Amino acid sequence: MARLAAVGGALPRGLAAQRSLRLGSSAFARASAGVVRFNSNETTPHPPPPPPRRPGASFQGQLTQSISQRLERERADLERLARVRKESPVARNFTLTFVLFFVGSVSWWLGYKYPRDVDPNSTLPLSATKPPVHKTAPVNLEAAWADFVEIVGQENVSTVDTVLQQHATSEWSTHQADPAHKPFCVVFPATTEEVSKVMKVCHTRRIPVVGYSGGTSLEGHYTPTRGGICIDFSRMNKLVALHKEDLDVVVQPGIGWEQLNEELAPHGLFFPPDPGPGACIGGMIGTGCSGTNAYRYGTMKDWVLSLTVVLADGTVIKTRQRPRKSSAGYDLTRLFVGSEGTLGLVTEATLKLAVRPAATSVAVASFPSVRAAADCVARVVADGIPVAAVELLDDDQMKFINATGSTTRKWREAPTIFFKFAGTPTSVKEQVEMVSKLAKHAKAQSFDFARDANEQEELWSARKDALWATMAQRKPGDHVWTGDVAVPMSRLPEIVEATKKDLRASGLTSSIVGHVGDGNFHVILLYGDKERKIAEECVHRMVRRAVEMEGTVTGEHGVGLVKRDYLPHELGEATVDTMRKIKSALDPLCLLNADKVIRIQKPARGEVTDW
Amino acid sequence: MPGQHLLGLRARPGLGRLMAATRITPLVHHQLRHSSTAAPRRGPGPLTLTLTSAVALTLGLSIGTLYGRLTSPSKPLQLESHGPNSTSSSLNGPVYAPRMEQLHAAEEIARLLGQDAVAYDEDELEARGHSDWSTSNSPERAVAVVYPRSTEDVVTIAKICNRRNVPMVPYGAGSSVEGNFSQPHGGIIIDFRRMDQVVAVHPEDMDVVVQPGVNWVELNKRLTQQGLFFPMDPSPTATIGGMVSTNCSGTNAFRYGTMKDWVVNLTVVLPDGRVVKTRRRPRKSSAGYNLTQLFVGAEGTLGMVTEITLKLAPVPEETSVAVVPFRDVKDAAAGAAALIRAGITGLAAIEIMDERQMEILNKYGSATVKQRHWAEQPTLFLKFAATKETIGPDILRTERILTEAVGKVPFEFARTKEEEHALWAGRKESLFTMASIRPEGTQMWSTDVAVPISRLADMIEWSKKECSQLGIFASVVGHVGDGNFHVAMMYDPRDKEQTAAVERCVKGMMKKALEMEGTVSGEHGIGIGKKGSLREEVGEETIELMRRIKRAVDPKWVMNPGKIFDWK
Ligand SMILES: Cc1cc2nc3c(=O)[nH]c(=O)nc-3n(C[C@H](O)[C@H](O)[C@H](O)COP(=O)(O)OP(=O)(O)OC[C@H]3O[C@@H](n4cnc5c(N)ncnc54)[C@H](O)[C@@H]3O)c2cc1C
Ligand SMILES: Cc1cc2nc3c(=O)[nH]c(=O)nc-3n(C[C@H](O)[C@H](O)[C@H](O)COP(=O)(O)OP(=O)(O)OC[C@H]3O[C@@H](n4cnc5c(N)ncnc54)[C@H](O)[C@@H]3O)c2cc1C
Repeated sequence: MARLAAVGGALPRGLAAQRSLRLGSSAFARASAGVVRFNSNETTPHPPPPPPRRPGASFQGQLTQSISQRLERERADLERLARVRKESPVARNFTLTFVLFFVGSVSWWLGYKYPRDVDPNSTLPLSATKPPVHKTAPVNLEAAWADFVEIVGQENVSTVDTVLQQHATSEWSTHQADPAHKPFCVVFPATTEEVSKVMKVCHTRRIPVVGYSGGTSLEGHYTPTRGGICIDFSRMNKLVALHKEDLDVVVQPGIGWEQLNEELAPHGLFFPPDPGPGACIGGMIGTGCSGTNAYRYGTMKDWVLSLTVVLADGTVIKTRQRPRKSSAGYDLTRLFVGSEGTLGLVTEATLKLAVRPAATSVAVASFPSVRAAADCVARVVADGIPVAAVELLDDDQMKFINATGSTTRKWREAPTIFFKFAGTPTSVKEQVEMVSKLAKHAKAQSFDFARDANEQEELWSARKDALWATMAQRKPGDHVWTGDVAVPMSRLPEIVEATKKDLRASGLTSSIVGHVGDGNFHVILLYGDKERKIAEECVHRMVRRAVEMEGTVTGEHGVGLVKRDYLPHELGEATVDTMRKIKSALDPLCLLNADKVIRIQKPARGEVTDW
Repeated sequence: MPGQHLLGLRARPGLGRLMAATRITPLVHHQLRHSSTAAPRRGPGPLTLTLTSAVALTLGLSIGTLYGRLTSPSKPLQLESHGPNSTSSSLNGPVYAPRMEQLHAAEEIARLLGQDAVAYDEDELEARGHSDWSTSNSPERAVAVVYPRSTEDVVTIAKICNRRNVPMVPYGAGSSVEGNFSQPHGGIIIDFRRMDQVVAVHPEDMDVVVQPGVNWVELNKRLTQQGLFFPMDPSPTATIGGMVSTNCSGTNAFRYGTMKDWVVNLTVVLPDGRVVKTRRRPRKSSAGYNLTQLFVGAEGTLGMVTEITLKLAPVPEETSVAVVPFRDVKDAAAGAAALIRAGITGLAAIEIMDERQMEILNKYGSATVKQRHWAEQPTLFLKFAATKETIGPDILRTERILTEAVGKVPFEFARTKEEEHALWAGRKESLFTMASIRPEGTQMWSTDVAVPISRLADMIEWSKKECSQLGIFASVVGHVGDGNFHVAMMYDPRDKEQTAAVERCVKGMMKKALEMEGTVSGEHGIGIGKKGSLREEVGEETIELMRRIKRAVDPKWVMNPGKIFDWK
């Protein structure tokens, strides 16, 4: 019994909810208590009861009574002996086995079916999680490898070390990946069915899976913290169907946004979200990306009509057909956008398209201070001037651009705003005029606009090359950190100024660029190995500032591994616990991109830095 | 164990009773009777037998119980099974408290929130249990209405109802039309009319923080001073809470998108009483799962929205309206499709009204509307919103594109503000006018589908043909700018044959819309009316995924049960 109780105590340690843990052991205790009582009451041989003594009964009477009792007892004994003799030992053993088996299985079944309380909670706090159990032993992985080869062919499963490295982390990732964190193999499927089959293998074998499209994400999004395999979508890079008339297109996840736009250009259409060069639709859906066009056109979530998703157990679902709008059921499409591959793998997407504007132009205005620049932006936004993009580059950034000399122009090294205009020729002309007026009002020191397409290209390229210009300042061994936050528009000047001051004080080489039309900006920090801590702290302070100003810890780059512990501060524990509950509902085994976005396991001591 | 089924989900005495029951099985009894005297032993004696079977019993029970419990959380995702963690009662669906119990819950709420926060009045319940606008009403009624004043009040309500297994049905203005707020399982209505405060306006951030009971028309009145407005325009009575929950849109959706595009964050009371705020106030964010838009359009099945931050748009500098009659519906739809593809920035709304609607305007419109004689032909109503300089060229371009698409059409646009109002009033009044002329005893069935733009003309034409065969009043209106339109039909619910015919026609329309890769609900939601159609649209597996989410957030299935999809 004692051993049993010990087992009972040890077993429920990993229960999903504390509550059920309590229930579990108490039910167990009740059961054991029952048995103990059972034993002591019924099965211990009692001493024979003393003969009843009736006061006043005669000796004679007592004697006859005792004799008759003895006779009765003996008769019963004889009867039983006769009966027992009839039963063969085989029959007895059989009975025993049968009884044991019967009782055991009936009670197992009853116990198994014993009605349990539904966990009445809407959230799953970290404290109630139990670590996921993955099977990443080499035997299992190698067996799985054989399965993958059968599904996609040997040439599409790679275990080459450089390939594995490439799918573990990147030069521009802000997460310093543990060298041990790399996939066992990279699988290159070609169809939804193949992805589903691969996922089924991983599901039965409990192997963690990470999706990978362009690999340009920045916060350790695809670093395989738990080993397992990587599914690379680069072979799924087709444009499946273009519905010109409906302004939508069906694509596979491995198609790059630049390639897509090239294919759309002849049709007078384009797809607005424009993140890092090399990014692909799958990853863009993963991070819920945006880019310079977001001010006018919105972010990725606004441009996805429908998704085909392979879930954690290999089930394939499609969230919608192709209507422009719908109120039919939960918005699963937008739940998957921005889920960073933790809820399912996107294998096909229907995207909305925009009509390519008839005319575009670019203007550049420089300002005496970041605040003046931000004021100008605020006015443009408030007046509802439909500019296509508003981008801020600070004085340092302009200095770096001059230093690289990638453009023929020499730029004024002051906070600068790049405007993009789009529309009909008249409306573009009108917009340029209105913005130029507002810029003067905000004390702009200069306002230049492109007179032709070449000049446009030239001006805008300065904005596009910002990251490279800053990276060109790297000393050997330096790393780059791109920080990303967003705040309500009115707080933008304040946070940019404070961050700037902080960066100056840190002594690191840095610049600020931003999609300021929607209150979003980035810092680009360069740091050596020894300065990692300083860089971390700078970003940390910036993030905290953003949260204090009712902003967000990430405007567009996503959470990945780096920003998980900021979420509770931005959103509150209950909100993150709700996300965790959804994660565990969709992926109970935690196979899909484990550890990203939200923690699924209690962090080790000291793993989380103080807020 | 009937007792435990009452509350559905709790069953404590099970084990004890079970033990008692096994203790007196004749088999065991027999063994016990003979254990006291020594018997010749060959093979295991009765004592051993008894002891071992007792141990087997205990072990079996405990391992079974533990196994059932331990396996449940890590049970692999299997869409068709519920995993062994569901209770025997919940396997067959949730079991709600009987009406008496529900009343006790209401009384408990009244004790905590004050007597005036709860009403049991039959009229009040009837008014919230049924809607003339709706095509799907259920005969059951709630036991009480509660009127919370704050998020904390809602938390109190949720905790009580979740504990007592009482369904909670949120209620805004009750203008939704698919039975979204009906109470097929009784329960308690949470009416948000007392939570009607504008909490904060941030003109410089172009957002506003409101409570769910705020009416959008009132909100826009308040915002005019700031030069801002909130673009969604469903029923003039609708409240923000309901608009969020149906993911509504309206005439402005062509330019401004739908409700989901305008919600910055939501404060939601989850079914267990926990409060979540989905975001702070950034215009955009990639921080974690997009819970905001999961709650938008969830029709109150995942939680109760108690505060909303909405984006606002600047009031356009200049607006105008044009009205264009076409030869037939097909031409009108084709014209609309051409306009959508042209990407005219100044074009804000494209609405369609068929010849029946125009006829009604001429006959029953308000004084302003009747003033002019409307051509009784399928007509497009176009709204322009732009700057003073660009609006002229945009209107010209619109006319040119229509001519290119369908040939010369009479194109009339408003030259003055009065004209503009008079023209747009035609579109705005249509639904109410239609409702007001509805013959006694008839009901209106308003469908709502959306299809890809290229299929719009076919879809509208097809629908019109189908409906016209019914021999009843049927008319097409809609927000064709995003491929969405409604067919309104008046039928007599007492006439079984007619009702069945209308139903068949509506089903056919859904089917057609799906064949054209559209959706069964462009803006009204699923409610109880369209559950079957939704399954056809997205498939059982996708529904099962929605169920999984619902079960995760609302394990007891108490939030607005019976809507969007069923337990099984
Ligand atoms: C120079 C530079 C500039 C950038 N500028 C911007 C910018 O302006 N705006 C912006 O938003 N971002 C920007 N980024 C970040 C990056 O480009 C985006 O995050 C982009 O969306 C990532 O796409 P990807 O294809 O590279 O995704 P990956 O890095 O391959 O993956 C990103 C995430 O999505 C998941 N994923 C990948 N494929 C799938 C799939 N098929 N199904 C499900 N999940 C999947 C991955 O597991 C991972 O979690 C920039 C990056 C660089 C290097
Ligand atoms: C004349 C008329 C015209 C219409 N025109 C349009 C139109 O153009 N476009 C359009 O989209 N719709 C239209 N509708 C439909 C209707 O106006 C919309 O569905 C509207 O969004 C409903 O808002 P409500 O406040 O009336 O919500 P209700 O009907 O009260 O509730 C709707 C749903 O939301 C839930 N709910 C309400 N409040 C909350 C809350 N605080 N938290 C969680 N859930 C809640 C309810 O339980 C219910 O499921 C029209 C209706 C009428 C009668």
